[in-house]
Amino acid sequence: MSLVSTASAKAEPSMLARLFARQELALLVCLVLVLMFFSATVENFLSVRNMTNVLGQASLALTAGIGCAIVFISGEVDISIGSLLATIALPLIIIMNDTNSLLLGVGGALLFGLIIGVVNGYLTAYAGINSLIVTLGTMFIMRGGVYLYTGQRAIPDDASLDSFIALSDGRLFNIIPYSAVIAIVLLAAFGYMMQHRPFGRQIYAVGGNQEVARLAGYDVRRVKFICFIISSLLATVAGIILAARVGSAQHTAGLNFEFQVVAATVLGGVSLAGGIGSLTGMALGVLILQFLSNGLRGLGLPTEWQLVITGMIIIAAVAFDEAKRRRANGG
Amino acid sequence: MSVDFLHPGEGAAIDSDVPALELRGIGKRFPGVVALDNVDFTLEPGKIHALMGENGAGKSTLIKIMAGVYGKDAGTMRMRGREVDIRSPRDSLKEGIKVVFQEIALISEFTVAENIFLEGYPTGKAGSIDWKKIRTDSAALFNRIGFNVDPAARTGSLPVSQQQMVEIARALAHEARVVVMDEPTSSLTPNEVSLLFTVIRRLAALGIAVVYVSHKLDEVFEIADTVTVLRDGRHISTRPIGEHSNDTLIQDMIGRRIDNLFPRKRGVPGSKVALSVENLSTAKKLNDVSFEARAGEVLGFFGLMGAGRTELAKAIVGYDPITSGTITVDGHRLAPHDTRTGVKLGIGLLTEDRKSEGLMGELPVYQNASLASLGAFARLGFVDKAKEHKAVQNYVDRFRIKTPSLFQQVKNLSGGNQQKVLISRWLMRGLKVIVVDEPTRGIDVGAKSEIFALIDRLAGEGLAVVMMTSEMPELLGLADRIAVMCEGSLTAIMSREDATQEKILNAAIG
Repeated sequence: MSLVSTASAKAEPSMLARLFARQELALLVCLVLVLMFFSATVENFLSVRNMTNVLGQASLALTAGIGCAIVFISGEVDISIGSLLATIALPLIIIMNDTNSLLLGVGGALLFGLIIGVVNGYLTAYAGINSLIVTLGTMFIMRGGVYLYTGQRAIPDDASLDSFIALSDGRLFNIIPYSAVIAIVLLAAFGYMMQHRPFGRQIYAVGGNQEVARLAGYDVRRVKFICFIISSLLATVAGIILAARVGSAQHTAGLNFEFQVVAATVLGGVSLAGGIGSLTGMALGVLILQFLSNGLRGLGLPTEWQLVITGMIIIAAVAFDEAKRRRANGG
Repeated sequence: MSVDFLHPGEGAAIDSDVPALELRGIGKRFPGVVALDNVDFTLEPGKIHALMGENGAGKSTLIKIMAGVYGKDAGTMRMRGREVDIRSPRDSLKEGIKVVFQEIALISEFTVAENIFLEGYPTGKAGSIDWKKIRTDSAALFNRIGFNVDPAARTGSLPVSQQQMVEIARALAHEARVVVMDEPTSSLTPNEVSLLFTVIRRLAALGIAVVYVSHKLDEVFEIADTVTVLRDGRHISTRPIGEHSNDTLIQDMIGRRIDNLFPRKRGVPGSKVALSVENLSTAKKLNDVSFEARAGEVLGFFGLMGAGRTELAKAIVGYDPITSGTITVDGHRLAPHDTRTGVKLGIGLLTEDRKSEGLMGELPVYQNASLASLGAFARLGFVDKAKEHKAVQNYVDRFRIKTPSLFQQVKNLSGGNQQKVLISRWLMRGLKVIVVDEPTRGIDVGAKSEIFALIDRLAGEGLAVVMMTSEMPELLGLADRIAVMCEGSLTAIMSREDATQEKILNAAIG
């Protein structure tokens, strides 16, 4: 957790009291409650093995969630990430099978992700089309493209490079899955950017009030454009880890993934309206939902119930948040 | 040769022969309107230049061109003799033109300190933001100006007046050659205004050219060196302030004389009580307030900042919850915190903050006007558009609302005309009591007299008008009776005849 909380360093660290009023603390308390509840009811829940496993499972959503949260904070949405997960596996696996090079495969995947980010970003920021529509469109196009290309058959990873397989089952010091390490490093880096780099603050300003940001001399369109590129590239990283995990490119990969990420991001207090929330909040949101799902499975509750409970939690969390904000604004 | 207000003395001497900013032959058209036609405007370094004119005279357009918000269609701009091409706010800021806009332009979720450095964060090693410098510099800046604002506060949680101070401070945080202030005093107390004037004079002493836009003549006479007047998008006059009197300035602005700013056409108010408030208290502010307003009467409420005028306005129309007391409109009890019944009984609020609480800027004029009375135009649950348009057109004609059509988005109308659209909305609903909160905030002289005439007319038509104001002339010119508030309590009610400025101020101080 220590790396994650580095990312939470706030714009005004002097005020301890303000920190306590913040979302992240409430989320942390929720997470601890979830952990306490399941540690009492599910055997081996708190074991190092289970904890690190969950962290590994959460790493996809954590990685893609960074991009999702950043796009939200800029005042837009990106729901094309699930389809992107499946799509970038194609160049990744095909190039690796042809060249036996992880580097080239990853390079090809990132290039593809970049192109999608440029398309999403250009259509939203420069052509002025609503981002929900744009990314809904690219979501369908990419999913359809993958179905057409694969003929609904998985393309297996024939190269079986050790370095690629390590992404799926390798562990740092034999404890923390590499995928989780990647997610945590990215979280720390982007968390730092959002709080301590001028560009990160520009994203908050653009999402907070576009017109004010423009008057302050910001290139609003460029900021949004770059946010979509960040989002696509991070989803690409998540897609590479997923491909390593399933050992193939599959047309169903990442189905509904975007909604899991959106759910966790919203639960983490990142507002769809823009300008509000943090990557720490998003990460806590992901972890709460992941541990909840792991624990409920441990209790033997069917997946259907997990969906129902997740839905209720998200609505309750956002309603609670709204009530708090209303009180803070004295209305 | 620019000067950073945080570090005065760093700027080199300024060659005062070359204008800081020179605009020549500026032209700007919008669809169907010529906003600016061949306007010249020259700013000398170290001089305070007032820019005046009625609504729609072109002041805002000119400022926005300087700020890079709008591009110009014709003309040239020179900064210290060098021709510049300003296409965006970024270009303008880079040239050292800092504009304090009338509408608050701050990110509400950010701290005050961060907002002050929004246009350029100080960065330390490796380009990361130096938060410590932001905190200390913003505190130092407020200290220097003498404004009392907490740099660590969340900006959105501050009252408008403090946000205005943040805006002003922000313009001074970076190197500036030209500082433009658009109605900077509209929500400041007299004390804060005098602090601002000290700051402005210091800016001028540092060699910065200051543009001061205001509708308040006394302010302009106090602070300005030079006055430029625009009218209908044209340059009318530029003169040293010493050559102007109140009359000549107004004459330049409106092209005619206003003999009487407060034309009274209505008769004597009747005796019928339209609104009765008894022992009203709220959790936050109001304490045991009782009064009556009669049909046909203008009841003026005066109070200094924080006296509770706005809170009272919101409570009596049922907008805010109350802790005790009763509100009776036209003989019917109004349950607290119930605007629905309020509207039904015929009490309406005209807010101080038109944008966020009253009008929907994106929607056309006719929808804004008819909003509260859609039921009257409905047939089988559908709005009869023809009937609706006809009714709205009637008000547009009656109040001479300047709009190209009923379908114009309200945000494109001037402040005075937006005000009239709001008034139309409530009149259409069949209002008995109208509460107006600072009706002339940010509205210029010519339009003010129209608003005054309108208020006079509303009372003349038998409405009880409850007017909250912090403008003494407005109060004395319009009200039949004057109520004074201090710290949430009513401290005096007097008739217009008995009222003097001294009496009112004494009651307001408590």
